[in-house]
Amino acid sequence: MLSIRNLSKSYGDVQALRDVSLEVPPGMFGLLGPNGAGKSSLMRTIATLQDPDGGSITFDGIDVAADKDRIRRTLGYLPQDFGVYPKVSAQDMLDHFAVLKGYVRRKERAEAVESLLQQVNLWDVRKRKLGTFSGGMRQRFGIAQALLGNPRLVIVDEPTAGLDPEERNRFLNLLAGIGEQVVVILSTHIVEDVADLCSRMAIISRGQVLMSGQPREAIGTLRDRVWSKLVSKTSLAEYQQRFNVLSTRLVGSQPLIHVYSEARPEQGFEPVVAGLEDVYFRQLRVHGAAAHA
Amino acid sequence: MFREFLRFELRYQFRSPLPWLIGLLFGLLALGGMLTDEIQIGGAIGNIHRNAPSVILNYLSIFSVMGLLAAIMLVAQPLLRDADLRTDELFFSAPVSKGSYLWGRALGGAIAALGIYAVIALFMIVGSFMPWLDPKRIGPFMIEPYAWAFGVLVVPNLIFIGAFLCLLAVTTRRLLVVFLGAMALLIAFIVAGALTSDLQYDTIARLIDPFGGRAVGRAMRYWSATQRNTLVPDIDGLLLLNRAIWLGVSAVMLVAAHILFRTHRGGPKRVKRGANAIAAREQAAPVVVIAPVRNVARTFDRTTAIRQFFHQLRFDALSVLKGLPFLILLGFGLINLIAGARLSNRLFGTEAHPVTALMLEALRGSYQFLLALILAYYAGEVIWRERDARLAETTDAAPVPSWVPLLAKTGALFAVILAFMLIGVAASIAYQLSVGYTSLETGLYLRAALLDSVPFALAAVAAVFLQVLSNQKFIGYALFIVVFLMQTVLTAMHFEHNLYTYAGSPTLTYSDMNGFGHVLRPWAWFNTYWSLFAAMLLVIATAFWVRGVARSRRDRWSDALRSLRGPQGALLGTLAIAFVATGSWIFYNTNVVNDYLPTDVVLDRQAHLEKEYRKYKNLPQPRITDVYADVDIYPAERRVEIRGRYQLVNKTAAPIRDLHVTLLPGAELRVPSLESAKLVTDDRQAGYRIYRLAEPLPPGGTMELQFEVERAERGFTNTGMPPSSGGGDVRSPLNANGTFFNSGAMFPHLGYNQAGQIVDRNERRKRGLGDVPRAAKLEDEAARSSMGFEDADWINFETVVSTSADQIALAPGYLQKEWTQGERRYFHYKMDRPMLAFFCYLSARYEVRRGEWHGLPIEIYYDAKHPYNVDRMIEATRKSLDYFTTNFSPYQHRQVRILEFPRYARFAQSFANTIPFSESIGFVADLADPGDIDYVFYVTAHEVAHQWWAHQVFGADVQGQTMIVESLAQYSALMVQEKQYGREHMRRFLKYELDRYLADRGGELIEELPLMRVENQDYIHYRKGSLVFYRLREEIGEDNLNRALAAFLRDKAFQQPPYTTTLEMLDYIRAQTPPEKQRLIDELFARIVLYDTKVTAAKATRRADGKFDVRIDYEAQKVEADGLGKEAPLALDDWMQVGVFARKSGEAEHTERVLYLQPQHITQDKGTIKAVVDAEPYEVGVDPYNKLIDRNPDDNRKRVE
Repeated sequence: MLSIRNLSKSYGDVQALRDVSLEVPPGMFGLLGPNGAGKSSLMRTIATLQDPDGGSITFDGIDVAADKDRIRRTLGYLPQDFGVYPKVSAQDMLDHFAVLKGYVRRKERAEAVESLLQQVNLWDVRKRKLGTFSGGMRQRFGIAQALLGNPRLVIVDEPTAGLDPEERNRFLNLLAGIGEQVVVILSTHIVEDVADLCSRMAIISRGQVLMSGQPREAIGTLRDRVWSKLVSKTSLAEYQQRFNVLSTRLVGSQPLIHVYSEARPEQGFEPVVAGLEDVYFRQLRVHGAAAHA
Repeated sequence: MFREFLRFELRYQFRSPLPWLIGLLFGLLALGGMLTDEIQIGGAIGNIHRNAPSVILNYLSIFSVMGLLAAIMLVAQPLLRDADLRTDELFFSAPVSKGSYLWGRALGGAIAALGIYAVIALFMIVGSFMPWLDPKRIGPFMIEPYAWAFGVLVVPNLIFIGAFLCLLAVTTRRLLVVFLGAMALLIAFIVAGALTSDLQYDTIARLIDPFGGRAVGRAMRYWSATQRNTLVPDIDGLLLLNRAIWLGVSAVMLVAAHILFRTHRGGPKRVKRGANAIAAREQAAPVVVIAPVRNVARTFDRTTAIRQFFHQLRFDALSVLKGLPFLILLGFGLINLIAGARLSNRLFGTEAHPVTALMLEALRGSYQFLLALILAYYAGEVIWRERDARLAETTDAAPVPSWVPLLAKTGALFAVILAFMLIGVAASIAYQLSVGYTSLETGLYLRAALLDSVPFALAAVAAVFLQVLSNQKFIGYALFIVVFLMQTVLTAMHFEHNLYTYAGSPTLTYSDMNGFGHVLRPWAWFNTYWSLFAAMLLVIATAFWVRGVARSRRDRWSDALRSLRGPQGALLGTLAIAFVATGSWIFYNTNVVNDYLPTDVVLDRQAHLEKEYRKYKNLPQPRITDVYADVDIYPAERRVEIRGRYQLVNKTAAPIRDLHVTLLPGAELRVPSLESAKLVTDDRQAGYRIYRLAEPLPPGGTMELQFEVERAERGFTNTGMPPSSGGGDVRSPLNANGTFFNSGAMFPHLGYNQAGQIVDRNERRKRGLGDVPRAAKLEDEAARSSMGFEDADWINFETVVSTSADQIALAPGYLQKEWTQGERRYFHYKMDRPMLAFFCYLSARYEVRRGEWHGLPIEIYYDAKHPYNVDRMIEATRKSLDYFTTNFSPYQHRQVRILEFPRYARFAQSFANTIPFSESIGFVADLADPGDIDYVFYVTAHEVAHQWWAHQVFGADVQGQTMIVESLAQYSALMVQEKQYGREHMRRFLKYELDRYLADRGGELIEELPLMRVENQDYIHYRKGSLVFYRLREEIGEDNLNRALAAFLRDKAFQQPPYTTTLEMLDYIRAQTPPEKQRLIDELFARIVLYDTKVTAAKATRRADGKFDVRIDYEAQKVEADGLGKEAPLALDDWMQVGVFARKSGEAEHTERVLYLQPQHITQDKGTIKAVVDAEPYEVGVDPYNKLIDRNPDDNRKRVE
């Protein structure tokens, strides 16, 4: 459906996207990468908000750069930094978006607005000013806005950043409910978002696609190759030097390290069931892109 | 800790460019004012030095108010900086006392602000040393005024402003609110100033000004040039009280700020609780499957785009209309509007009927300027609304054509303009109804609102364009300000053409008589022209409109240029062609059909006339003895044709060879009877021709001079008004309804006319003209040969004037015959006796009200909308005729006519039996309150008095001439007024005269002269004239004075040369004056004498017999001033009235009862007077009725302790 070929974009000396190519079929597609990887640049480019320096994007046969208007008619976009007018009510604001999305007849517009507010569970608070909404409510309002006009291409940029677990769950549930035939691109730096939701994914860093495919397959490649060990804080540096450490996190204030190795690295390491997080860090390590965790 | 905050703040401030920029800007402004005449701030005019203390005080006072805006940046911003940058929690979690934080920052900002004033002062000092300045205009350098200004104005004001802003900042923590608060303070300051501008609110005006400028201004109000050049005010009385009050207020605000300052974040708790409640309620939301919204067919065609446009427009317009800044500015606008409507047309404290024409003026003057602020602010807000709310990415990705948001936002600004205008109209109508005025002219209001909206709409487009092009809100704001400052500067430099002044067009004036008149057409052309330009700006802005992520500048330009090659380019081209075509048509009208005359060119032409022809000033010319003229007025075409003939006589002893025929430029002249004479000089631009007669005119010889004049206003001019000749001409003589011109403007004259000379000393110097030509000395016998109408003495006058069939045409003389021929109406007027060589023509659609005085007809010709005061004018005429015929001499004419003319000029003028009266002075005065000063009555009496003082005796063209004409008309009118309304009424009236005399003498450009030597100086012959003659009447008695005047008239009326002078007139007065008052005559007429009397203490004690002993301590001063206001003390030897008065506390002065009133001989500068009165006294006074010219008239009375 969405096909990205050899996309590149730079801002002055900073290369935001280098030769990015991706095929995105219908369904939920996760775009995973650290902060500053170029995810938002890619999203904005797909959302017609900036032109690439080179390469092309086509959606369902439409050339995005050349025919922005047609893409916009079928696009739903929730940007990373989604703001609202604090003094406008949810209903009025969504009504406004509906006009922008082409619902110019009052009755149809009202119907669409009501339906979406119901579905994102904001109907009861539709008269409230958006400035009083919590982060999660605001994001749900954002997705309602993005879904106006039955888009076939939905772009959601870092939607769960800053949400508490409860709100995040509720939001992901909403995303999961979007129809199968719609291309949904979810960009995030939170591995669980992708693991929980996406049938396909890509990892991108420093403007490049490191890998793309199905999360399950990617995890499969790491079977029996990830090992963990609780180490002492003083010896952590030494471990990091000696082994291919994927990640370090604290368990009861003691570092637990994950190490990539085809065989048990040494006594004390236990095999672990690999997760998408390990895939992610493995990819970043391989491409030398991860900051030392 | 405090020192650390202060040190940090100072370093922060002085490293940021802002204080330097503001200092430089203000400094340059101060320097500009010091060096040029174009920037006029401090009142350095005439004899007042450019660096006079008064000028320095005015400058620093104004800057200390303007500094309010700088203070927002420098004082309030440091307090809000941490809240803005969200660094506040860093500071407040550290062990910092809130006092050191708050006051360290605030003081740092305040010191930076003080630095700016130091820069201003420095620039002023430097400016005054520039070598090319006229040394006459620079006084010696003094440090004292600077120190005074800093101590009394700058520093206290900075404390006040700082305290005010601190309080706002710590309580609201929002820069916008602080900004609005500052605006509110500024507007309140302006409104309060307007509300208290009338003399009766003097004390309150001085006290409520938080910046003290008005108190300082009023303290210097009556100062002469010398005083302004050398003194600073004493810090006492009301000024001291003002400073104490506002420093006290500042202290309270500082303490409040300290107490209210909270270091923890005060979030909006209520809202958070609400949000949590909602979040809690939906804890267990299930997974939902998003059902596709019912798929409705959305089409993306033009209709959709247009609907999206209107929706966006409405959405944005409502956001503005509901916004706090809009509502606050609107509120201030409405307050100011109502204040303006009540006050702007006050004369002597009397209000006018709120006719729609006046309400339109109030709307323009007091209300609409706020729209400029609203637009400047909201252009940035609305354009970048999505971006500021971090919504732009969402809306930019919506399927909306790119032109929609930009044009809709522009449209939203238009809607705001219209809403603001209509609210103003509604408020005006509500005001009219609230005061019982019910002749509503809704159609006119709506028309005016639409017309007035256009320039604001153009400004809005410019603001939008600059915002889009700069793509940054604050740069857009800055560019907008720069563009409009540049326009102001260009205009000041005499680049005045509306073709290059953005949104420039002639000023519309609405006259009830003439509507918007002929100005509407050029107005429409210029606005079409600029609308086309604005449309081009919008097309270009659309091309530059950034959708999505901002691109590099080069990409933006190439994108924009690319998109301009398409249909947008075609549109742009079409607009450009229409723009150029409109501009060409305008240029053809303003510069080809008419002359384009910026003010400096007008001055150059005046200079040319003087340089070339003043040498002929005393050249003997024949005098006109008879005037006959056929005058055809075509009001609709704004054209007049005159075919006339003069009878000329050579009254000199030598033959006259050359005839110097002059006519104000703008009219075309043919002189058929001189076709055989040789045209020696023909300077069309100056309107000066010299004909050499074939046969010189021998002494006593006569000749007939036939002439034809045509003046037509063709096409239109840059100002919409006829080009000015620089003299005091009526700006628009030919009008569709309300033609009014006089013989000076439209009839040829003989010899050089001084009226067109430049009187401004600086403008003369620039053009190498030397000192201002002065009137001939009073003792100059040769100059007594003329009244100033160089080419005539008394004339016989006859005329036939025609106009369109629906109008009445008038000229001096009596109607002989009236007839209609075709579409034209003819009137034949003839005067039955010699009259002044000064006559006028009027034509309009008049209503006529007739009255009579002992059978003599009185006729008022007025506009149908202005019936209010017509009967009062008739009454005033009757009372005037009564008094003047009884006391002076018989009335020489058989009729009095008063004729209304449009508001383009604001005066009344007396011609023989004919008195034109502007629609803007008496016709709409509201005289319902019997306590108000009836100036309609007064002005009418004054003009009728001119039938004696001017039309019976005029006086020679030497010093003092206008005393005979104007001061005596003032005196005569005062007497009529006093008989009608009583002495108390006169006291209030004379207070205004005293105020204006004392205030205006400080603005004298050349030299103040004693009354008998007045050189056509308004403040002397009107204001001082009133005071002097009223005092003289009190001193020698009304009968004696009138006897003198009657004798003077008997001997001098209708005289031939040599004409009389004030010297002769004073002889008649002296003859009726007892010997002990002869010295007084000298002081009143031949010298400039000022008093200052003051009651310092007033005590009363009840006696056993129920009477009261009253003890009055007084101080008195008497000085003589020279022409520049330098004063020398005079010994006191005067009889002053001393009075004791009873009145109920809280009652008005006119209810008081006189318990004691005796003249006392005052010879000492301090003393005590004792009196015994029968009732309990309330107030005492020395010169209680202000009969002396007293520099502090308000301290002559004092409440009894």
